[in-house]
Amino acid sequence: MDVYEMRGRLQVIAEEMAVSEDEDGEGDEEAFVMVSKRPSTSSSSFCRDCATPAHSGHPPNHRVLPLQEAAQDMKTELSQSCSKLTEKITQMENFASNLEEIFITVEENFGRQEQNLEQHYSDVLQTLSQRNSENSAALQDQKKQKLEALYGQLLACGRLLDTSKDLIESAQELHRCQNKHAFLQVELKAGVSIDFTTPTADLSAVKQMMESINVVPAPSAPVMNPQVVNSATTSSLRVCWSLFSDDTVDFYQLYCRQISEDITTETEQDASVRRVKETHYVVTDLLPNAQYEFWVTATNTTGISPASERAVYMTVPSPPVIKLQESVSCLEAALIRWDSGNTNPVESYTLELSEADNHSSVTESIVAIPTCECLVQLQPWKRYIINIRAVNIGGASERSQPITISTTGTLFHLLKETAHPSLSVSPDGFTIALWRSRSVMCTSMTEMYLSCLCWVCSCVAVLGDLIPVRGQHYWEVEVDEWAEYRVGVAYEDTQRTSYLGANATSWCMRHLLTPSRHKYEFLHNGWSADVRITVQPFRIGVFLDYERGTLSFYNALLQQHLYTFSCCFHHYVLPCFALDKPGALTLHTGLTAPKYITHT
Amino acid sequence: VRTMALTQVSANKCCGGYQKVFEHDSSELKCKMKFAIYLPPKAESGKCPVLYWLSGLTCTEQNFITKAGSQRAASEHGIIIVAPDTSPRGCNIDGEDESWDFGTGAGFYVDATQDPWKTNYRMYSYITEELPRLINSNFPADPEKMSISGHSMGGHGALICALKNPGKYKAVSAFAPICNPVQCAWGQKAFSGYLGPDKSTWEAYDATILAASYSGPELDILIDQGREDQFLSSSQLLPDNLIAACSEKKIPVVFRLQQGYDHSYYFVYSFINDHVKHHAKYLNA
Repeated sequence: MDVYEMRGRLQVIAEEMAVSEDEDGEGDEEAFVMVSKRPSTSSSSFCRDCATPAHSGHPPNHRVLPLQEAAQDMKTELSQSCSKLTEKITQMENFASNLEEIFITVEENFGRQEQNLEQHYSDVLQTLSQRNSENSAALQDQKKQKLEALYGQLLACGRLLDTSKDLIESAQELHRCQNKHAFLQVELKAGVSIDFTTPTADLSAVKQMMESINVVPAPSAPVMNPQVVNSATTSSLRVCWSLFSDDTVDFYQLYCRQISEDITTETEQDASVRRVKETHYVVTDLLPNAQYEFWVTATNTTGISPASERAVYMTVPSPPVIKLQESVSCLEAALIRWDSGNTNPVESYTLELSEADNHSSVTESIVAIPTCECLVQLQPWKRYIINIRAVNIGGASERSQPITISTTGTLFHLLKETAHPSLSVSPDGFTIALWRSRSVMCTSMTEMYLSCLCWVCSCVAVLGDLIPVRGQHYWEVEVDEWAEYRVGVAYEDTQRTSYLGANATSWCMRHLLTPSRHKYEFLHNGWSADVRITVQPFRIGVFLDYERGTLSFYNALLQQHLYTFSCCFHHYVLPCFALDKPGALTLHTGLTAPKYITHT
Repeated sequence: VRTMALTQVSANKCCGGYQKVFEHDSSELKCKMKFAIYLPPKAESGKCPVLYWLSGLTCTEQNFITKAGSQRAASEHGIIIVAPDTSPRGCNIDGEDESWDFGTGAGFYVDATQDPWKTNYRMYSYITEELPRLINSNFPADPEKMSISGHSMGGHGALICALKNPGKYKAVSAFAPICNPVQCAWGQKAFSGYLGPDKSTWEAYDATILAASYSGPELDILIDQGREDQFLSSSQLLPDNLIAACSEKKIPVVFRLQQGYDHSYYFVYSFINDHVKHHAKYLNA
């Protein structure tokens, strides 16, 4: 229906209404006048039920009002109706204008659609005509070639006709002649081959174009979402993306490619492709702590979208491996060391600790540890379970195998890498032995001395890996009767060419054998106190107290105090163990310092 | 049984506790004897272990308490230190005051067997029996926890008391002790005077000989000796003999030869803290 027409009609109705209103008003007046003109002749009352002036013989059950009052009432009613009608008109006008807007929109849309179709139509036409001209040119060429070929064949045919004519003549001659066999000796030649290849017209592009004239547009490129926290594991990644809301998509194709850290193998690896219905996918069978690049295309019946931007996701690292032999502790702290567990670097590590006797899961975490070691403060006389996680942007790894730390004593191992080359350290890192006499060794191992890290040349020693904490530390050294040893402590930067105790940065107890007796020296800075000990200690207790600035030696089996050095240790010291003659000594750590030492 | 009446001679507050001197009539020595006692602050609230200190030749109870500076360490470790006199005094024995190394001030911690000494000169019994009884019954002392130490002749006394009474003393130490009196001039003079010419009786009071036959609970002996001690060089002390015997017998000794120190109380003062600590280790165990 024509909207304009409808609008026209509505206006007509409105005008009529206005007119009838006016007429009503006039009628009222007339009626009023009429009534007022004859107040004397008739009664001055009005019957509501009969809607006429009331007469004396009026039925008694009718409502009769004075005439004037009745007129007033009617006026009021009329004016109410009038305003209602005005409202209605306004509403209808609004409705009309809405319809008009809709009409305009529909018309516009149709126009646009038409334009689109025309566009497509002209595109198709253009393509067709282009194809037509291309193909016709090709066909012209072919026609020309074929005509030429036909002409050639025509010529050949003419020649053949001539030959045939000759042949017929000779045949006739032969026929006439007596020798009938001679015919067989003549070659017969005839036949023309016409093998043209018919080119097939390639109309697929046209077909595609026709198909593209469709209601559903091809989707636009989806948008990759960044990696979400805790969505990755060591071998899988949950990849998410999104699309523009009004796109229709049948499926996505997710492309995945590992980003190699190693530049030498940066030969654009093949991306793997997966077909996905949803806007997320869990990619599995991936390598730990590795970066992967993802991108997607969306496909519907109309076509494939352009590829999305590429997003980089990262798998979670493998759990680290705690180095049990290199983790040390004391009453107040532990120094935990670990292997990354990953070939490429991770972002940081998290240390989790819990009390072994307290069954809650994790009581404390230390995060953002940049290196593969951490010094953690602990409470004395407790047992802790500690484990490590490796962290990258993909999240935290599984927990490492735990290490149990008991804060009941000082635990450390020998630092094998500081051992003098002629000193053998047992696999457990607690026993050292010197097999050959040093005079023999010095000639054969001169070269090794030059490259040795430790005391070298003079002192056949090894250092202990004491935790750098300024508290109280106790350890014991087991020696045999004939071992000539030095046990004590030294600053880490102690000159490596001098004997232990011969300088200002080392302190030691030395045992040596003289022809007459066992001699003990308590050496520091090249000077020893003159101390005689009647019972040879086979187990030496060493007690280091940073706070009091003392280093004490005990015969641990007898609980006998042997000697105490008083010295402010300005730096951290490392335990030191040296053998001056062939022999062996064994270190015992992790022991609780005996009360006879700590309580006096 | 005589009552053991104590008379307080002096009392001075010191390091939170009190340094006191008492006099009493000794039943063992048949004379009035003085002894010094340091009571640490801890003694006001409970029983404390006792360290007996034996002084050297010519000393009284005063030398140690005025010169050794033991009170601070005793206060810190809560140890009572009892320092008796070194011999009976005023017994009117002929020749008792004739020489400084015999008689008065030189009791040598033996029980004399010879006249005229045998009535009064019973320092060994006085130190090991009478005095501990007196202390235990009059002071807040723990009778189970006693130890002994001394200087020079007192060092000799401390060593023989410990070696002759296995288990009685929880610890023993000595400063420059006369280690082998049988072999030195001082010892020979005293022993022949108090014990007579029979040298076999001397052996019961010789630390080196006692050590060689010691059997009992493990002793931990701390000995300090000044290297510039004139009596060391004049072979009065003979520590090497004791060390040899103890090495042989596996008696634990730590013997410290202190460079530059002589025989005086300056030397004692310098190392008294180590000794009190040594005793505290066993007394407070």
